[in-house]
Amino acid sequence: MLKRIHKVAVLGSGLMGTGIAAHLAGCGLEVLMLDILPPDLSEADAKKPAARNRIGNNALQTALKAKPAPFFDNNFASRITVGNFEDDLSKIADADWIVEVVVERLDVKKQVFEKIDKLRRKGTLVTSNTSGIPIHLMAEGRSEDFRAHFCGTHFFNPARYMRLLEIIPTADTSAEVVDFFMHFGDKILGKQTVLCKDTPAFIANRVGVYAMAKIFQLTHELGLGIDTVDALTGPAIGRPKTGTFRLADLVGMDTAVHVINGMRENCPNDEQIGAFDVPKYLKFLIDNKFYGNKSGKGFYQKTAEKDAKGRPVVLALNLETLEYGVSQKEKLPVLDTLKQIDELPQRIRAVFKSTDKGAELLQRSFLGLFAYVSNRVPEISDTPYAIDDALRAGFAWDAGPFEYWDMAGVQACTEAAEARGETIAPWVKEMVASGHTTFYRSQNGVRQYYDPRTKTYQNLPGGADFIVLNAYREQKPVYENSEVVLHDIGDGVLCLEFRSKMNAIGEGILRGINDSIQIAEEQGWKGLVIGNNAQHFTVGANLMMIAMMAYQQEWDELNQAISIFQNTSMRLRYSSVPVVMATQGYVFGGGCEFSMHADAVMAAAESYIGLVEVGVGLIPGGGGTKEFAVRLSDEISREGDVQIPRLIDRFKTIATAQVATSAHEAFNFGYLKHEKDHVVPNTARNIAEAKSKVLELADGYVQPIQRKDVYVLGRTGLGALYIAAHTLQLGNYASEHDIKIAKKVAYVLCGGDLTSGQTVSEQYLLDIEREAFLSLCGEQKTLERIQFMLENGKPLRN
Amino acid sequence: MSQEAYITGGLRTAVGKAGKGVFKGTRPDDLAIEVIQQLIKNTPGLDPSMVDDVIVGCANPEGEQGLQIGRLIAVRALGKDVPGMTVNRYCASGLETISIAVAKIRAGMGECYIAGGIESMSQIPMTGYKLAPNYNIAANTPDYLVGMGLTAEAVAKKYGITREASDAFSLRSHQLAAAAIDGGRFKAEIVPFTVKEVWVENDKRREREFVVDTDEGVRRDTSLEGLSKLRPVFAQGGIVTAGNSSQTSDAAAFVLVMSENFMKNLGLTPIARLAACSVAGVEPLYMGIGPVKAIPKALKQAGLTLNDIQQIELNEAFAAQSLAVVQELGINPDILNVNGGAIALGHPLGCSGTKLSIQLLNEMRRRDQRYGMVTACVGGGQGIAGIFERLN
Repeated sequence: MLKRIHKVAVLGSGLMGTGIAAHLAGCGLEVLMLDILPPDLSEADAKKPAARNRIGNNALQTALKAKPAPFFDNNFASRITVGNFEDDLSKIADADWIVEVVVERLDVKKQVFEKIDKLRRKGTLVTSNTSGIPIHLMAEGRSEDFRAHFCGTHFFNPARYMRLLEIIPTADTSAEVVDFFMHFGDKILGKQTVLCKDTPAFIANRVGVYAMAKIFQLTHELGLGIDTVDALTGPAIGRPKTGTFRLADLVGMDTAVHVINGMRENCPNDEQIGAFDVPKYLKFLIDNKFYGNKSGKGFYQKTAEKDAKGRPVVLALNLETLEYGVSQKEKLPVLDTLKQIDELPQRIRAVFKSTDKGAELLQRSFLGLFAYVSNRVPEISDTPYAIDDALRAGFAWDAGPFEYWDMAGVQACTEAAEARGETIAPWVKEMVASGHTTFYRSQNGVRQYYDPRTKTYQNLPGGADFIVLNAYREQKPVYENSEVVLHDIGDGVLCLEFRSKMNAIGEGILRGINDSIQIAEEQGWKGLVIGNNAQHFTVGANLMMIAMMAYQQEWDELNQAISIFQNTSMRLRYSSVPVVMATQGYVFGGGCEFSMHADAVMAAAESYIGLVEVGVGLIPGGGGTKEFAVRLSDEISREGDVQIPRLIDRFKTIATAQVATSAHEAFNFGYLKHEKDHVVPNTARNIAEAKSKVLELADGYVQPIQRKDVYVLGRTGLGALYIAAHTLQLGNYASEHDIKIAKKVAYVLCGGDLTSGQTVSEQYLLDIEREAFLSLCGEQKTLERIQFMLENGKPLRN
Repeated sequence: MSQEAYITGGLRTAVGKAGKGVFKGTRPDDLAIEVIQQLIKNTPGLDPSMVDDVIVGCANPEGEQGLQIGRLIAVRALGKDVPGMTVNRYCASGLETISIAVAKIRAGMGECYIAGGIESMSQIPMTGYKLAPNYNIAANTPDYLVGMGLTAEAVAKKYGITREASDAFSLRSHQLAAAAIDGGRFKAEIVPFTVKEVWVENDKRREREFVVDTDEGVRRDTSLEGLSKLRPVFAQGGIVTAGNSSQTSDAAAFVLVMSENFMKNLGLTPIARLAACSVAGVEPLYMGIGPVKAIPKALKQAGLTLNDIQQIELNEAFAAQSLAVVQELGINPDILNVNGGAIALGHPLGCSGTKLSIQLLNEMRRRDQRYGMVTACVGGGQGIAGIFERLN
């Protein structure tokens, strides 16, 4: 079935409905968002369409101001039409897909679906975003065509940022519809789609809430403090900073308890049903309405007091005394151990080798989790990998339960769990007994999972669409140094992966890029992808390197280093093979400069791109400022009168270190260009898309010629920018040093203090960019900024 | 040989809000023609070809206001025989054009002038389309080109004007303006203008016509509380907000100025004469204080003291700047902007000087006053003050 979705109707404009509408609009769909008439509509208002659509309109306005932004770019709001159920429901006949996001009540939902059944075109897809109501109950009484095209599509809040989309078919849902949503949700909506069964809470919440409830119990049993447990169950084991108790505060205690009680009720056969007993301290919080962040108090309480660093003092609930006290994290050896290990698998193994109370909590929670998920196959999923996918995407874990289990050792943990009285499902023991010791393995760069149905390893679906660099680890790299690895990702394409700390760009990466391009050119490769699977593409140049040379006033060396940086950017553009970047997360400073020079950027929608050098007292010195001048020259008309406003815009982008909050927004800032760069909705696909782009460009690729025709405005532009900078300073938006830097940016953008506009070469611009960069390295205040950034990880305003 | 010059008539359009107001799509020259033709109609015996020159003030004479709009207005309003020129002294333009007309008559260079000002801030951005400051200024004396809002901040800081006082001044402006409109006090001076609008709605071409005869800037729901919630727009930690700044506007206003003989030949009586008009320069960063230097100069020229002035129209560019002027000269607030000011009614840059003069003369007649003054601060660090003697 080749189905094309163009128009979507979103029914319901609550937080979730609006979030879904905003995300769908961001993915290029035309959205009709409906909600009920305002119940308090006055007689006069009853005739006004604006008043009748008030609920939806207000929701949209709120979404436009919300942080984090529900829209990739607020301009996309124009793709949403707001209406109400009374006047506009018939318009759903035009929709290709109808998503129901109304209140979580079966009777209300059934009424809505009854109306939809009458109004929809045959073949129109209908889905519910319920998080708890069984899907098949909602389809009861509906027409055959409706039921064949109906399933659950469960988004997580906030819809733009949470990567998981659970697809829940009923027995009547056609296989084509399921396949369609699995693909569409991934490729167009950018989500990790996970096929679920129509079981209570589906996959992510079922397992995630179990894990939370289990840790609740263990905390109490082992007498640990909640802040200690949050430290244990956060990034230390590859989970979000919120850990366990902060997550409960974030979700809201009423919701958490509601879900836990739901599990108890709906999953009476769970062998670990006892985990869902609500502990007495949770009852205390509920009774006192201490629901968490939304009521200002939960497991934690933020006070008005400030500590020495000016941060608010946070009190933590003592689970024994039920009193709030100053947070006192216990100094557990296991925490120190984990802090010193970079790689997650080694950390998980270290957990099982440690012996303190903290390690015991982690071990027992992991063993409980392993046992629990083993028994959920095939109940909630036929395959283990779907459960892992759901937990990674839905709860932002770095690894799913079965992946953790692989790290810790399947056989050892099975034995340890059983020794603790946990029940491990027979299929796992059978797997181990047959000599299959892990749930996953890699074969020739293809990642495979163990399928309990066939008792064999199968390729993970969509392997070619998701190039996961981990799958190439066992293959001999084409090239490597301390900061990069060059993989052969098939079809004659290379992929250069950064592997320095935070992917900071140092000497190794610069050399790695030059060497890789040379290898590609000389050994007949089709082209090069630069991409990695880290959370952040790169945080930018390695400041330490610059700081050392600047402090020791090694100007020749520094000049040399900056030249190499600039030449590397230029090499990305001027080589005989296409170079395509695949970005995600932070694409700061040098990363942004590289991507501006590449033949194309396949930017994950969640790419945060920016030239942030001003924050450390510098200007973009790796060709970024030059490239802004080149782009300005191409954008502005030489005779027209729009030069100056655009020049000021672009100047402010660099001078105030603006970071785009999505790839879409990066086009507005001029970091990305529509002619060559593309947005990839699904972060997991960006390397694969970059590879396709290389193959597309490789056929008939001609090396571009260096530009000598860059038109710069000289003093005419410089005058305007100096005044713009002065205005920033008078308005207290910029310090004296900010202005000094801003003027350097202005100087490069305008090609210097030329008395008339004229054309110049890229090399001339690079030379004045480098000179400006070096002069700032000699400034005391710049050195202070660099030092502060290295020590505190945030910019100093001086 | 030397004759006195008299103002024998003055009219204006209503003031529209820039951006989304009633005149957003109306060309400023079209507004001007309507006003000028009505002035002629109101003056029995005056043949358009008898007008010696049309002098048009405009603060951003480019784009829709470019191509020497003074002549384009004259030829369309009065025929090919009447010349026209464009004058720019930023916010003082509309008073400056009157003073040029008066001076020309007194010098015997002509007998009959139409002087006034226009501005469409909907159509022309505040700093024009191409902002291209001289590099030498930008590099050495950037304060010469500081934006107006920041000059208001500078004045507030130097003269100790607070946010609270500024907001209270703004509230007063709105209240007095609302009372003036409700009392019909601007009715006689406003030429109703029929706006013809064409737009697309739901993919259909739509048309409508409506008559504009009332200033639209006043906010009747303004309160101190509401004003106090607005954020400073020009400087972090500043006091100047959208609520205590003048509004950007669209309008046109013109007066008829003629020599004594010319007037007598037509059998007309004078409304007023311009007793004095002075401009002065100040530090550009403290632009808003300009009137403090211009007013004493004008008083001296007229041989009067501040006590002789019974009413003052001080252009409310910013509350902070207005309050600083009042404070420095010791102006009696009771005689100041008695019908509200630009904070409530709008400030159509090049038009404001003429508009305020017309407003002043009508109110002076209502109050039976002899001497009144129009004053304004001017971008680039200047002030203007004009003293009128009422004769009707």
